[in-house]
Amino acid sequence: MSVIEANHLTKYYGKARGIVDVSFQVNEGEIFGFIGPNGAGKSTTIRLFLSLIYPTSGSATIFGKDCIKYGPQLRQDIGYLPSDVFYYERMKVIDLLKYSASFYDRDCTQRMRELADTMELDLNRRIEDLSYGNKKKVGIVQGLLHQPKLLFLDEPTAGLDPLMQRKFFHLIQEENARGVTVFFSSHILGEVQRMCSRVGIIKEGRMIEIADIKTLQQNNYKKVLVEADALDAAHFNIPGVTNLEHSNGSVRFFYKGDINALMRTIGSVTVSNVTIEEPTLEEIFMHYYE
Amino acid sequence: MNIFLRELKANSRSLIIWSVIVILFVMVGTSKFSAYYENPEMLAILDDMPKAMLAAFSLQAFNLTTISGFFGLMFTYYALMLSIAAAMWGSDIISKEERDKTVEFALTLPVTRGRVVTAKALAALVNCVGLLLITWGVSLVSATPYQPDSEFFKFVSLCMVALFIMQMLFLAVGIFLGCAMKQYRRASSLAVSLLLGTYFLSILPSLNKDLDFVKYFTPFKYFDAGMLLRESRFDVTFILLSLAIIVVSMVGAYLTYTRRDLYI
Repeated sequence: MSVIEANHLTKYYGKARGIVDVSFQVNEGEIFGFIGPNGAGKSTTIRLFLSLIYPTSGSATIFGKDCIKYGPQLRQDIGYLPSDVFYYERMKVIDLLKYSASFYDRDCTQRMRELADTMELDLNRRIEDLSYGNKKKVGIVQGLLHQPKLLFLDEPTAGLDPLMQRKFFHLIQEENARGVTVFFSSHILGEVQRMCSRVGIIKEGRMIEIADIKTLQQNNYKKVLVEADALDAAHFNIPGVTNLEHSNGSVRFFYKGDINALMRTIGSVTVSNVTIEEPTLEEIFMHYYE
Repeated sequence: MNIFLRELKANSRSLIIWSVIVILFVMVGTSKFSAYYENPEMLAILDDMPKAMLAAFSLQAFNLTTISGFFGLMFTYYALMLSIAAAMWGSDIISKEERDKTVEFALTLPVTRGRVVTAKALAALVNCVGLLLITWGVSLVSATPYQPDSEFFKFVSLCMVALFIMQMLFLAVGIFLGCAMKQYRRASSLAVSLLLGTYFLSILPSLNKDLDFVKYFTPFKYFDAGMLLRESRFDVTFILLSLAIIVVSMVGAYLTYTRRDLYI
């Protein structure tokens, strides 16, 4: 069953482009990565799902229900961590969390304490006295305290130190193991690669690719390095090879095509070393951007 | 209920500040009045002043040597203060979520936007009533040294009803602007400019009889303290007009706020 569904979702802010004709589905229990450069429309998409803004055309559903019509009811089961967190400055952390909890039709006290413990959050300080990273922690606790079934994370790790990032990822993986669906927007590809099973790549407001991370890597260029004493670079200039580089005793190139053809070419010379690597998401990503 | 209570708490500081302003104003005003009180010479001085000037400061309609007459004069200033407070609370209570960037929190909770507007409007209304009661209390206390009669108490009560309707009117207009305006930063300043604009407009009819029609466009002419004092009654036309403005503003507020993009 798909938890999130976008159908030809389009948003213009006046004449300025937000997103254009974006369609995709996110299945129950998956962590869906949503990547793209700044200004590509990641936050716009999330805000449409939360009906903070309304689409110019197209529609979006969550749990099979229209996001706008059933928004308030749907949000009982949605947790949202925005990229920048802003809360009522004069409130104490504990009062803010209790205030947030009071909107949900279940008791959130215990989960709230657990989360605050995990994230090492001091509940008795005022919001205005907190550092950026600590505000983000409040955001994490606030976004998770009602045990949502769906999480929207918009560049969630900005401002967290590496240790907290690890705890946070652990927390998200735990939630996911309990069956929570996660929509993970980020431009840090390492974390997307680590967390997500599928990714959507958005560029200039349009979804340009939706794929499994594995297939994305497999169907892509392989990075090949061949080392040998006497090498003629031209020997490797077979169909599918690009970016051929030759430097003292080694040849590097990208290869896309039948792997057997590549193996035969390499096999026909005496080599001292061969490495064939899958590209990192980062390299694939750069390719999409160019 | 949770939004309502939080807003009351968040606005308590502002209510205290306005209360102090009103109390100071009444105290200063009353101390001035002690110079006029049962002093016919002051009347003679006023009679020598240019008519237009007297009109501009609404000094014409009242006998300033009586406490009722003096309160009638003060009514305009009470109306100004209480209306400004109401307009500011109204426009601010909605638009501050966007100004402080807290919309991404407050409006992603499981609440409808309509419920947010209702709760906030009620909180602002309670603030207005609080300020009105304080104004009422201080007025009565400050009048005690001048032997207020039953006519005075009745007059003050009528004035408070008038002030309440004006508060509601400007509160509703403020809420509408806060809900409707995309440039949320301007909602408060526009609400107050509108208010001051209509106040200055209200002076025109007393300067020139041909401009009498202007009275329909300025709430400051809807309630005439002179009429309240002499006839102890309201002009129904203007009560209905006020109600109409309140209803239209609130309907407009709900419609625009539930349909527009929130500014983040």
